[in-house]
Amino acid sequence: MLEIEAVGIVKRYGGLVANDGVDLSVDRGEIHGVMGENGAGKTTLMSILFGLQTPDAGEIRVHGAAVRFRSPIDAMAAGMGMVHQSFKLFGSLDVWENIVYGAEPRRGPFIDRRAARAQVAELAGRHRLAVDPDATVGELSVGERQRVEILKALYRDARVLILDEPTAVLTPPERDALFGVLRRLAAEGRTVLLVTHKLHEAAAITDRVTVLRDGRTVAVLRTAETSARDIIRAMTGRNVNLIVEKGPAQAGASNLTAVDLTVAGAAAKPVVDRVSLTVRAGEIVGIAGVAGNGQSELVEALVGLRPPDGGRVEICGVDVTAADVETHRAAGLAYVPEDRAAVGSALTASAADNLAMGFQRAAPLARGGLINPGAIAERAQALIRRYAIRISNERVAVGKLSGGNLQKIVVARELSHDAPVLIAEQPTRGLDIGATETIHARLVAERNNGRAVLLVSAELTEILALSDRVLVMFEGRILADLAQAEADEESVGLLMAGRTREAA
Amino acid sequence: MNGAPRWTAVALRLRPPPVAIAILFAALAGGALVLVSGQDPLQAYAEIVKGSLSRDSLPDTLNWATPLVGMTLAAALPLRGGMVNLGGDGQLVIGGLIGALLPLVLPGPGALVSIVALGAAALGAGLYAMLAAWGETRHGIPMLISSLLLSYPAVGVTSYLARFPFRDVATGLPQTPMIPEAARLYTLSGPLNAGSLLIVAIAAAAIFVDRRTVVGYELRMRGKNLRFAGYGGVRLDRQAMRTMFASGAIAGLVGAIVVLGSQFRFIDDALLSPSYTWSGLMAALLVGGEPAGAILSALFFSALQTGGFAMQRETSVPRVLTLVLQAIVILFLAMRQGVGRRAS
Repeated sequence: MLEIEAVGIVKRYGGLVANDGVDLSVDRGEIHGVMGENGAGKTTLMSILFGLQTPDAGEIRVHGAAVRFRSPIDAMAAGMGMVHQSFKLFGSLDVWENIVYGAEPRRGPFIDRRAARAQVAELAGRHRLAVDPDATVGELSVGERQRVEILKALYRDARVLILDEPTAVLTPPERDALFGVLRRLAAEGRTVLLVTHKLHEAAAITDRVTVLRDGRTVAVLRTAETSARDIIRAMTGRNVNLIVEKGPAQAGASNLTAVDLTVAGAAAKPVVDRVSLTVRAGEIVGIAGVAGNGQSELVEALVGLRPPDGGRVEICGVDVTAADVETHRAAGLAYVPEDRAAVGSALTASAADNLAMGFQRAAPLARGGLINPGAIAERAQALIRRYAIRISNERVAVGKLSGGNLQKIVVARELSHDAPVLIAEQPTRGLDIGATETIHARLVAERNNGRAVLLVSAELTEILALSDRVLVMFEGRILADLAQAEADEESVGLLMAGRTREAA
Repeated sequence: MNGAPRWTAVALRLRPPPVAIAILFAALAGGALVLVSGQDPLQAYAEIVKGSLSRDSLPDTLNWATPLVGMTLAAALPLRGGMVNLGGDGQLVIGGLIGALLPLVLPGPGALVSIVALGAAALGAGLYAMLAAWGETRHGIPMLISSLLLSYPAVGVTSYLARFPFRDVATGLPQTPMIPEAARLYTLSGPLNAGSLLIVAIAAAAIFVDRRTVVGYELRMRGKNLRFAGYGGVRLDRQAMRTMFASGAIAGLVGAIVVLGSQFRFIDDALLSPSYTWSGLMAALLVGGEPAGAILSALFFSALQTGGFAMQRETSVPRVLTLVLQAIVILFLAMRQGVGRRAS
């Protein structure tokens, strides 16, 4: 019996098409996985199902009847419940207060506290979601908070429970407990939509999986009849396999070295767990991994944006472990950050000002503390020409550019540092094929010019196409260091899911 | 928005300067208020203009503008980098008290004494403002809070000092003794003195630093995107300390200029009652801390406030009307900027 369907969902944000005709069909009592790479449109689809966004086209059906969710209130009334990736709870209130909030049992104008507490305790007991109704939410562990979120949805009698990357913040025992709860909920006829990009989770718990890629539904697979390989293939898509011409690596001196680098996290487990790596001049080292396995934190620690909690970082022989960004850059670092809009540029500033950052203190852009606007403009014009950035002139604010052109601004600036070490984080995320090719060619050119390039990407095809060596990161650790010849989609894909034994 | 009425679309396409629109709306709203109270709005506005811009009243406007432009710059500098200095009052009185006390004890030629007094006032107030930046960078106290809270002890302690240890016993008032004539600032004409020139020089320097120096570029980038500046290698902590020092130093200088140039002694509350700090903060906020625009809006506010006194003298419309006008101008400008921001 069909519980919920999404038919031909389209959602655009400006020029970006997040969902481009997505279809999803989920049966009652099913645990249904929604998988896909970053930017595939999973989160957008879930937001539409929960009424946080309205689709530009397409239709949602509950039990076969079309519905329109103008807000989460409509969605909840139709039986939807959502457990967000970042919990939406009041930390200073008690568990029962959080759960009944917005649907409090009343006695006249007052909240019937005793009834509320009793209902919450009964609900927690019935679903075996162990949590003390009188505990303060702020003092609970992450796993317990998640249980509160689930109870909140069940208190409103949600028939469909959406969980967005629920295991990202859990320890393995907590994760197993969660899976137990989900199985029981499905057994009593509720429906679970599980957004994840971890293969082993999908294999362990789902009945079926819908795979999204580039905003479209590319496959609906029955888990029992599907291998991890099939899912990887559906998620990455063979046809986007870009071929990059490059000769064998002429690796030289170690320009970037990290030893036992550790970054503590909010939980007991460090987000970056004693990572050691070396990137030599003239090679591209790729870090593969599903987003959220510590790559961002590792890069922040390598570039000086986050002081590491242990270990050592050296750039061209200079110990820069606890130093600030300026010292890292002076030692020879250029860095293309993951988020080009929030970190890599100032959107309201002109292209000239954006391209000058990092060069503003030295000749020819500045002399004796005075900047030379003529030199800044000239430099910007030269880079705009060389990288074929589509912009009317260098005085235009970069916030007006497309994602690809904005990324070219960032890449142009960072590569013009001619620094011995280049760290490129998700350098082609959200870019079209043309812009991707340009940037890939630039990265290979940098490598051939003798720079050490560290490439961090959640796109496996990109890692495999560019890297001379591939490191696979999983839950904060480097699981493997593979030469290009040993690294293929299957072995790296399995390692990305933490399945070391099968990959070997 | 598809649902927006057509005339807004047309107005947006024509892009009339937002300041002009804001002033027009404020004048209309203020005029309606005057009309309701049974007065003639045109006459009231005529008196404001005459009372601020006529040949006789212009020096008064400029004299009023001296501290206001100064305090506007003190607010604009941190704002340019996305920081807020709410402690202008405290920095103002610290500078004022240092400016009033040093000439009483320092020997030497008067001109030198006044220069040393001005310098010491800037240094003292600058260091005090830097304390707020230090609190944020070292201990995570938001500067918005710490700068404001640090203002209260400064105001309280200077008030105590003027009322008790350093009180001029010859008068019955809470004020320090008169400073020697030689140490007072050189009078240019009427109420104007050398302090006004100093503020002009600082204003010119602020515009130059903003547009043509590395420090100015880095501060602008910080204001546009803090994380971008940090990622680009700008040392954010030092930058915050330096900027707050400069901001506080200007505020302290303003205090000393008023004391050495107009009041010749530190009078308790005299520096605070005109609320230069808050008018200056509003003038700076209007333009997001861009120095040239901030100076222009400060001059506009000075004219409005000076003209308000004249209007109150000549008509029966109270001076509070000018504050209403000022508030409406700001609300309209803030609304336009707010709307623009949400759309992006």
